[in-house]
Amino acid sequence: MAVATERTATSIQARKGIVDCDVHPYPVSTDEIRSYLPMPWRDRFSGGGRGFFGNPVHGSRLDSTPPGGGPTGSDPGFLRKQLIDEFGIAYAILLPRAFCNVHPDPDLGTAIAAAYNDWLADTWLSKHNADGVFKGSLTVNTQDPLAAAQEIDRWGGHPHFVQVMTDSGARAPFGQRQYYPIYEACQRNNLRFAIHPGTDGMGINVQPSPGYPTHYIEWHTCLSLAFQAHLVSIITEGVFERFPGVGITLTEGGVSWLLPLMWRLDAEWKALRSEVPWLTKAPSAYLRDHVRLSSQPLENPDNSRHLLQMLEMMDAGHVLMFASDYPHWDFDSPTHAFPKLSADLHERIFSATAREWYGLPTPDTTA
Amino acid sequence: MGRHIIGKVGEVPPGERRIVEAEGRSIGVFNVHGSFFALRNSCPHQAAPLCLGSIKGMTMPSRPGEYIWARDGEILRCPWHGWEFDITTGRSIFNPHRTRVKVYDVTIEQRLDGDLPDEEDPSVETFPVSIEDGWIVLHL
Repeated sequence: MAVATERTATSIQARKGIVDCDVHPYPVSTDEIRSYLPMPWRDRFSGGGRGFFGNPVHGSRLDSTPPGGGPTGSDPGFLRKQLIDEFGIAYAILLPRAFCNVHPDPDLGTAIAAAYNDWLADTWLSKHNADGVFKGSLTVNTQDPLAAAQEIDRWGGHPHFVQVMTDSGARAPFGQRQYYPIYEACQRNNLRFAIHPGTDGMGINVQPSPGYPTHYIEWHTCLSLAFQAHLVSIITEGVFERFPGVGITLTEGGVSWLLPLMWRLDAEWKALRSEVPWLTKAPSAYLRDHVRLSSQPLENPDNSRHLLQMLEMMDAGHVLMFASDYPHWDFDSPTHAFPKLSADLHERIFSATAREWYGLPTPDTTA
Repeated sequence: MGRHIIGKVGEVPPGERRIVEAEGRSIGVFNVHGSFFALRNSCPHQAAPLCLGSIKGMTMPSRPGEYIWARDGEILRCPWHGWEFDITTGRSIFNPHRTRVKVYDVTIEQRLDGDLPDEEDPSVETFPVSIEDGWIVLHL
């Protein structure tokens, strides 16, 4: 990420404070996205979310509706007041929710992804970003990896896009070779690759559990299943050996499952290494160089010491990055989501690790 | 520690609430079917503004596959994570013994000796008094 560091350091002044690795900006309306779509897609795009498994209570914080109107997360001024200023956020990593990979028609999905990228670049990353607090994620349609790679190349060198993102919903695990063009493009353009929950079992995507669960509580709890399957696939298929510059951001996929899964995978590898001979080290040894997890929704056992032990065991000081998921209902407050951490670990999780990962300037402490 | 006049009863109809600042604390005063209750406006979970949440009923304990909806208007849901609280006790539904929000006493008073609000003009005339005319008084 050396190139990105130089690029951003010269364009904006280093900001002190928290890096929030999962913030969701929304268009003011479906028509706003439609205005970035060429025909025939403009007429085909109807907006909409994932279709079902909607939260039965509320999907966004009830107090996040902008006073001036519009959907939650659609007013940059109000988001700044309620998140950036309230908690002292230095950088917010923006992840739009396009749900573009549910469509049977890959060209429609690719057009939607491009429209979201044009919209984000035009609004949150420029008009509303004079201070550079907003960093963007490029939406790509993973159903068409070649088109996704072209979309990534279209934005290479943009000062505020720091990663490529996809929903976790897929038709095949992300380590498989059909996705190589995406990883090549990420490596070529010095961008991380983020996976965020969504579209599991929706449209043409596979549900990563035995069939469809009945309730939202089941579906939402089991979102981490897809993340586990994707991570095991990416490591064992040798993505990090083939593309040593690739880094995976596992966003909102859960935290505390990581270590037991790695213990299991390492144990399997001792016996089954011959099946995946391209791995040059134990699977868990790839994490520190190639994988980061965002913290929200952080599991919180009744005894917070147990969580602290888990953080220590999983090397949280190097792989975990704070995220709030604003404005969604399961928002984690920067001041209340974690038990008390040591000053060093707090600095790593809330700021330093993400700055290193995304090449964001470190605050000048001598100023 | 004192009495705080919230307003007239008629200004906070059943099902509605008023958020007030008293002694440096944000507090929600709720009218639940004509009775008044006050809760601290801070969720014990992550300090969300609890009293801005939705007011609904709840699904009662039941057998698997059975839904019993009851207690309409008595249950407050946190506006962030959706935890349910009994407005009449401040206790959470999922763990009423351990997870609860601070509650305060509320009384309805027809006369406010000595501390009438400025806008209230003590009249020498007499009128029929109803509960609507009473004052909501919060006690900290």
